[in-house]
Amino acid sequence: MKQSAVEAVIRGLKKAGVSIVCYLPDSLFKELYPALDADPDIRTIRVTNEGEGAAICGGVFLSGKRAALVMENSGLRAAVEPLARMGLGAGIPVVMLMSYRGELGENNWWAIPHGITMEPVLNALRIPYQVIREEEKIERAIADAYSWSYSAYYHSGVALGGEVVR
Amino acid sequence: MKRFDCMKALAARLKDELVILSLGGSVDEWYNAAPHMREAGLFQQQLGCVTPQAFGLAAGLPHRRIVSLDTDGGLLFNLGILATLGNEQPKNLFVVVWDNECYQSIGGPPTHTATGRVDLAAIARGAGVEHAHIATTVEEFDALCAKGLSMEGPFIIVAKVAGTVQPDIKRKHSDGREDKYIFVRHVEATEGIVIMGPSEHN
Repeated sequence: MKQSAVEAVIRGLKKAGVSIVCYLPDSLFKELYPALDADPDIRTIRVTNEGEGAAICGGVFLSGKRAALVMENSGLRAAVEPLARMGLGAGIPVVMLMSYRGELGENNWWAIPHGITMEPVLNALRIPYQVIREEEKIERAIADAYSWSYSAYYHSGVALGGEVVR
Repeated sequence: MKRFDCMKALAARLKDELVILSLGGSVDEWYNAAPHMREAGLFQQQLGCVTPQAFGLAAGLPHRRIVSLDTDGGLLFNLGILATLGNEQPKNLFVVVWDNECYQSIGGPPTHTATGRVDLAAIARGAGVEHAHIATTVEEFDALCAKGLSMEGPFIIVAKVAGTVQPDIKRKHSDGREDKYIFVRHVEATEGIVIMGPSEHN
């Protein structure tokens, strides 16, 4: 990720009022994680799997603070169970920021499943999302995801792909 | 040791705390053992999410003590949270694991603690949660509650309880969505904040 894209993500999170970020690091966002760690206005919590991260974000929602779950899109699959139960069973929202591994342009065989499954899994859970491949649209997309999730009390997602992450 | 007796002992020590707890047989028991905590408790339905949610709440409200009432089956579903707690060291998180060595709500098939080889408190200590203890009597449990609720955590009690449910108690009848609204409005009122606010006029 370019430094300017990293800064756009952090601007978007701050615009949305996010003060806690749960993450499990990945390679496409590798420049983003240390920038989040270093930001004085954001507390980062490293988790052992993305389902745990989703649950922690749900707990943060209940506190009145705003959280983000940042991860590779493969993490969506790990998080499906808590997302389904929190979202559909209780109306506790989690906003996710994912790197889009496995889209056209992918050059790693192991990442192909992530591209094939991400959008069908989001659709199965009826989670609205945007795929952002232009840096100038990042900030608005993140802020819009929070506006929607705090109206719907349901999850939303932003997947960053294309030139933003490669 | 009966879980219901432990709950009554714990409930007597709680006032301003917030509680996240697991669904299953323990819900109705807690509802009866701690009626004064009804609005301050949120029942969660998913294995592996009770203590993570309680930790998220603790991270968001660092000035307030948060209680997680988890289970052996729930904690075993995501042992990783113990490592996260070991690293993050939340000062205001108090965790009870009702370890009845079975999946009680579906009729009681054994969990991995039933063999006697798996020690959740030792796992927690190995993950960096220094104060993780086993209680086998109500007196031990109550003494650990007194300690854990008066010091900076994280503090974990693994309560070895029988696999029975207190008979003839009133059933809880609200669902997850109703519970969430009740809980959120309680947090809003007691913290003086807005979590689920009014819609915009536009």
